[in-house]
Amino acid sequence: MGPLSSPSSAAAESKIKAKQPWRCSPSRPAPSPHPSSSVRTAARTACASPPSPSPPPPSPRSRRRCPATTPPPRGTQTRTRPPLFLRPATHPVPASALAAFRRRAAALVPASAPHLHRHLRWLLADASTTSDSDPALFRAPLDHIESLWLGHVRARRPFQYVVGNEHWRDLVVAVKEGVLIPRPETEAVVDMVKGVEGFGGGWWADLGTGSGAIAVAVARELGDGGKVFATDVSDVAVEIARFNVERYGVQDKVEIRQGSWFEPLQDVKGKLMGVISNPPYIPTEDLPGLQPEVGWHEPKLALDGGRDGLEHLLHLCEGLSSALKSGGFFVFERDLTSNICASIWQTNGNKQSEFLVDLISSKWSSSFRDVKAVLDFADIKRFVTGYHR
Amino acid sequence: MALFLSRIRRRIQSPTHHLLSHGAALASLLEPTGGLPTTAVATLLCGEPARLFSSSSTAAVAAVPMTADGLTVDSIGSKGWTILPEAESDWRSHAAAVAQSVKVIKKRLKVRYSHDISCWGSIIERAKQMALVLERPDLWDDPVFAGRVSREHGELMGRIKSVNQFEQELIEHIEMLRLAREENDNALETESMRALADMRRSAKEKELHALLSGDNDSYSCFIEVQAGAGGTESMDWAAMVMNMYRSWAQRRGYTVTVVEEMPGEQAGIKRATIKVDGEYAFGYAKAEVGVHRLVRISPFDSAKRRHTSFAAVAVIPILGDGSTRYQIKESDLRIERFRSGGPGGQHANTTESAVRIVHIPTGITATCQNERSQHMNRASAMAVLQCRLDQLEIARQAHINAEHTQSLNEISWGNQIRSYVLHPYRMVKDLRTNYEVSDPDSVLEGDIDDFILNFLSSSLDEADVSA
Ligand SMILES: C[S@@+](CC[C@H](N)C(=O)[O-])C[C@H]1O[C@@H](n2cnc3c(N)ncnc32)[C@H](O)[C@@H]1O
Repeated sequence: MGPLSSPSSAAAESKIKAKQPWRCSPSRPAPSPHPSSSVRTAARTACASPPSPSPPPPSPRSRRRCPATTPPPRGTQTRTRPPLFLRPATHPVPASALAAFRRRAAALVPASAPHLHRHLRWLLADASTTSDSDPALFRAPLDHIESLWLGHVRARRPFQYVVGNEHWRDLVVAVKEGVLIPRPETEAVVDMVKGVEGFGGGWWADLGTGSGAIAVAVARELGDGGKVFATDVSDVAVEIARFNVERYGVQDKVEIRQGSWFEPLQDVKGKLMGVISNPPYIPTEDLPGLQPEVGWHEPKLALDGGRDGLEHLLHLCEGLSSALKSGGFFVFERDLTSNICASIWQTNGNKQSEFLVDLISSKWSSSFRDVKAVLDFADIKRFVTGYHR
Repeated sequence: MALFLSRIRRRIQSPTHHLLSHGAALASLLEPTGGLPTTAVATLLCGEPARLFSSSSTAAVAAVPMTADGLTVDSIGSKGWTILPEAESDWRSHAAAVAQSVKVIKKRLKVRYSHDISCWGSIIERAKQMALVLERPDLWDDPVFAGRVSREHGELMGRIKSVNQFEQELIEHIEMLRLAREENDNALETESMRALADMRRSAKEKELHALLSGDNDSYSCFIEVQAGAGGTESMDWAAMVMNMYRSWAQRRGYTVTVVEEMPGEQAGIKRATIKVDGEYAFGYAKAEVGVHRLVRISPFDSAKRRHTSFAAVAVIPILGDGSTRYQIKESDLRIERFRSGGPGGQHANTTESAVRIVHIPTGITATCQNERSQHMNRASAMAVLQCRLDQLEIARQAHINAEHTQSLNEISWGNQIRSYVLHPYRMVKDLRTNYEVSDPDSVLEGDIDDFILNFLSSSLDEADVSA
């Protein structure tokens, strides 16, 4: 089964990527609980361009590539580079060198992490063209791939950042540091939205769109007149969401607006058929204990849900009734620890949430109907859905 | 007549266009002609060119294509011309090879379609009779009967016509070659010769296809391999068998995708499923259903003893779009996905996306872990499940083809079809046909076409005998 829908073939990829130069995030997340210093070194080499003995390939793109030794000034837009899986495959790698790399790379995989074998396979698939030619053609020099691998295995840099994509639903969503890697749980949101009556022709909002995964997936299902307004405060998110929107050719259906939650949507207030959001929902106090791939590498802005993980959710709940049109639908992804959000509408909340329930349930029960918690595939109450009265 | 020549002229103008499809051939026949070389017209006038062109009516189909000097495919076949290797540019040899294939094709069709009649002529006779029945005004009073007759007639006609068109093509190429020689037209001569050689190749393909006229033969399929008891050694064997099919399929130009793979603890696979996409994948692969046995010194046995292990193979057709036989109810499904056990969502980074779907009423399951997103794994697993349930339904409804539509659960480990011996001697032997080769390596590298063909033709011959 070939990789997925429209922009999957190499030809399509290169056509698409030509449209939008890729700008790297000027800032990189600082690993917060610091791993040992050697590991950190690996992380750094993994993420920066490695010193390359061979000159860059004669492609127009190489001009834009900054020399490995002098990083661009922070905050400038000079450094543009597509994600690994979309770069041109111009680096020949002889079969023998590849086999040796495979052996070295596999030797780094600890018995406790067999999934890394899968990652190695995918890394090689994403970093090269699929043909069995010898030499194989790679999208980066092999020593660069090797440092990427080290960065993944040792510094726990998420695999998705390494290859620059996450396979999500039937999409290959481009991602990079500074934007949340879309989660498999969130795939279900699109199905819930699709089930709403009149879905195809409605106006939808995806608040905190991040990579734009939800917005693109929803847009691809919309019919005439349907539209998604995707918002985010983050520069990187806006940039990458735009990239993904263009990659899938849904510019006509997705309008990206930068700003905080409902703020950039004043002009469509009361006109939305639905509001979708996967806001940051991890309680601030839980951030230090996160899995390294998440805690060290993903943007805090996309994870930090404030006290009890509810800060943004509550804000969203507040704005909901004036944003939605009558009969409009909403779905929020939330945390199991913030059970509170469901209990706002459901019978009794647990102790922790009681004051919130008291605070808002009276106000909201009159505005919404059919509010319920929806399970994710692991039977965790992951989503809250409902309709505006 | 003149029409035929126009086709020849077209060919001269476009040398790249060396083998016209039947459709194109017919279309070109309708084109207006320009000025023709008179000698050519004279040559061709001696023949009975009207017979060269079959129309859709049974009568026309029955007409025998013939060259200007009276050669027919049958007469070519009985001339005893030596069949030289394909590389030799000898038209008689090419023609004889094609004629021989046509003979085989006719025999196979006869067996497949009409057990009770004994020659190609009577097949045509039968088609004619059915055409008459189809014209009866009261036919549709019995819609079941009418449906059966019209289906069989359609099928028979399709087969007959394709053989006829093929024969006609051979005759045309021979004529063209003669024309080219008469006119000293080297380009046309080379081209006709090449066309004849091409026909030789496609005739071999057609011989095969004549073996593959079962209901689902033309479809793509899933191939499943499961290791028998015996630990690592048999799991390794299962992996070898799976590899054999992967390379076989790739050689045939099919697209192979791994749908599911349960690796063994140390080596090999416990079970795996691949999807083989392409025309006639099922028709061929169904010949592999059953238990495959390996005898060798196990590399996993430190005492270097001889081991016998087994791997079971099942093959499931993937019915064309929209022809699903079994309606799956969403509520009958249990969908199992990887659970990290933790809080998931924003807390976790995982690339584990395997999906298993259980069809609760039948207990049939399908797993997919090949795709990188859960959504896609779910879609693939659903496709596999649909095919398994379709297969079950077909078997239930028809009770035919039962041996080819067994699932792995049903294959009894006693149903051995082939034995691969690597020690103390080297041999692969098919226990159904007794066909054997002494080079197991090439077989394990996917060179199994001969086993398949032998089995397919022997099962036709059996049908012949039992008819
Ligand atoms: C958990 S991520 C979700 C990303 C994406 N929708 C997904 O599901 O993969 C939360 C997103 O909310 C954005 N965000 C954080 N604070 C925000 C705010 N005040 N207004 C809008 N977006 C915000 C973050 O930048 C981040 O992209």
